[in-house]
Amino acid sequence: MSGEGSARKIVGGWLLLGGLLAAAILLSLMVGQIMITPAELLRGLMTGAGPGSLTLRVLRGPSTLTAVGAGAVLGASGAIFQILLRNPLAAPDVMGFMSGAGCAVVAGVAFGLFIPLPILAAIGGLVAALLVAGLAFHRSGRQSPLTLILVGIGIGFFASAVSSFLVLRMPPQEAADAQRWLAGSLTARNWGHVLQVFGLGALLFVVLALQVRAMALLELGDELAAGLGAHVERARYGLICTGVLLAAVGVAVAGPVPFVAMMAGPLGMRIAGVRHPASRLTAAAIAGATITVLAEVISRSAIPGLQLPVGVMTGIMGAPYLLWLLWKEVEAGEL
Amino acid sequence: MTGNGLTTTSLTLGYRERVVIRELSIAVPDQRVTSILGPNGCGKSTFLKALARLIAPASGQVRLSGDDIGKIDTRTLARRLSILPQSPKAPEGITVSDLVRRGRTPWRGLLAPWSEEDASICAQALQQVGLSDLAERPIDELSGGQRQRAWIALVLAQNTPYLLLDEPTTWLDLAHQLEVLSLLQKRNRDHGTTVVTVLHDLNLAVRFSDHLFLFGANGLVAEGTPEEVITPDNLQAAFGLRALVMPDPLTGRPMIVPY
Repeated sequence: MSGEGSARKIVGGWLLLGGLLAAAILLSLMVGQIMITPAELLRGLMTGAGPGSLTLRVLRGPSTLTAVGAGAVLGASGAIFQILLRNPLAAPDVMGFMSGAGCAVVAGVAFGLFIPLPILAAIGGLVAALLVAGLAFHRSGRQSPLTLILVGIGIGFFASAVSSFLVLRMPPQEAADAQRWLAGSLTARNWGHVLQVFGLGALLFVVLALQVRAMALLELGDELAAGLGAHVERARYGLICTGVLLAAVGVAVAGPVPFVAMMAGPLGMRIAGVRHPASRLTAAAIAGATITVLAEVISRSAIPGLQLPVGVMTGIMGAPYLLWLLWKEVEAGEL
Repeated sequence: MTGNGLTTTSLTLGYRERVVIRELSIAVPDQRVTSILGPNGCGKSTFLKALARLIAPASGQVRLSGDDIGKIDTRTLARRLSILPQSPKAPEGITVSDLVRRGRTPWRGLLAPWSEEDASICAQALQQVGLSDLAERPIDELSGGQRQRAWIALVLAQNTPYLLLDEPTTWLDLAHQLEVLSLLQKRNRDHGTTVVTVLHDLNLAVRFSDHLFLFGANGLVAEGTPEEVITPDNLQAAFGLRALVMPDPLTGRPMIVPY
């Protein structure tokens, strides 16, 4: 498709983005307590035998693929809110939707509810989103993106506090697991997690693809979008719901990993050099997957013998970026 | 009132405290260039938005070919009538061609790929506004006049028989104002597009319009050809403006000289 700068530059951008993800996946499969060479991995893939095969099937394959899936849904979710609110701070992690999803999962476990995690996460995320919209509601019907973001940060803290409270009341072993999960964790993922995140993720990506044209119109402002045939309110609610559900799918398999959703959109857009919402969402998904896989491999190999939760790594990467964004907002006189 | 074209019947706009248009029944002449004039706050923008269904009337209707505009399917309406709001804001980094392509949205099926026809209509729109060479440039890098022409290309690509524009010349210098209005006039003459604009500059409106609606603080003051509408009495009534009206030496149309 034309319409986005020079074609060659765009192709180069996509190749770079895809190459980075491929490299991150390979790295994640190779690195660990035991190093596995690409040759051994290939042999394992072909013959189904040897250390390569064990790594792919059991040790690292499922965790790595879960990281790919979780990163992709979180990245796409972040890009949805960033495009809708025209603000790089808008993302489900910053705005409390993921903390809400995490809180609902912890509550479900604490109260012994037999509800599947993705459904709990979806309910928690949607409730958080409703709270943000309700608290930021203004009679004029228009609230600034920054108001929504700040209210969202508040809701996020509240949800995290509730989660902490629930964890404190759990038995010690359960509490330790929950604590770890709340920090964002990809250890000991199995093929069930992979299937879950890719299955639900693929479904939501189809739903999202059907809304991309409306999104491209909303980007032009409500009045033009309406003039161009968009059902403005309906389209906006549809996209918000899709964004919250994508984040919930990520939370259900990886916990509320911070900052992936926020970082992926701008990073993907820069690397691929794209502008149209369809391209931005795709680039954000790939960038989100790359960030998460890298964070996962670093978190388990940075300190030998110690397995850090992946969220610790994304936090270390994301917090400086968040501070830089806030500093830019201050410079621009927005805050 | 039924029949052809864009009409209003007993249209009332605004809220209980503040009604800006009351019981207005007019017909926009088809295939002409029409301008809506009036002082700030008289409701001319509100009126234009109501014509494009961006604002729901308090009572009465806007009709398009006899159908109540509020009951027309959104996409069907977007194929018949387009609106360019005042000072639209482009997403950061978007190119001219990406912007213009989005004008085709109402014509495309949900899964329909980009067609030859879409491409040629976009190319034509870009050519009509003189931006063919700048199609791959980001909007942010264009001058004010070029940017406004890019937005006009977006609504031209929408390819509707009715084209509504809210103050399309705001923030432009005089040369670019003329440029924008002549290209709208050319579109009208070449394609028979009904053009309705809200304009600030009275002399430019007279120069480029076939039909005028002149609003004052208390509603419609006059409508008709520029010669019929632009009279010292009407200007006094609408703007509280004391002015001489004399023939424009170039076109012979009325020209306003305030004193």
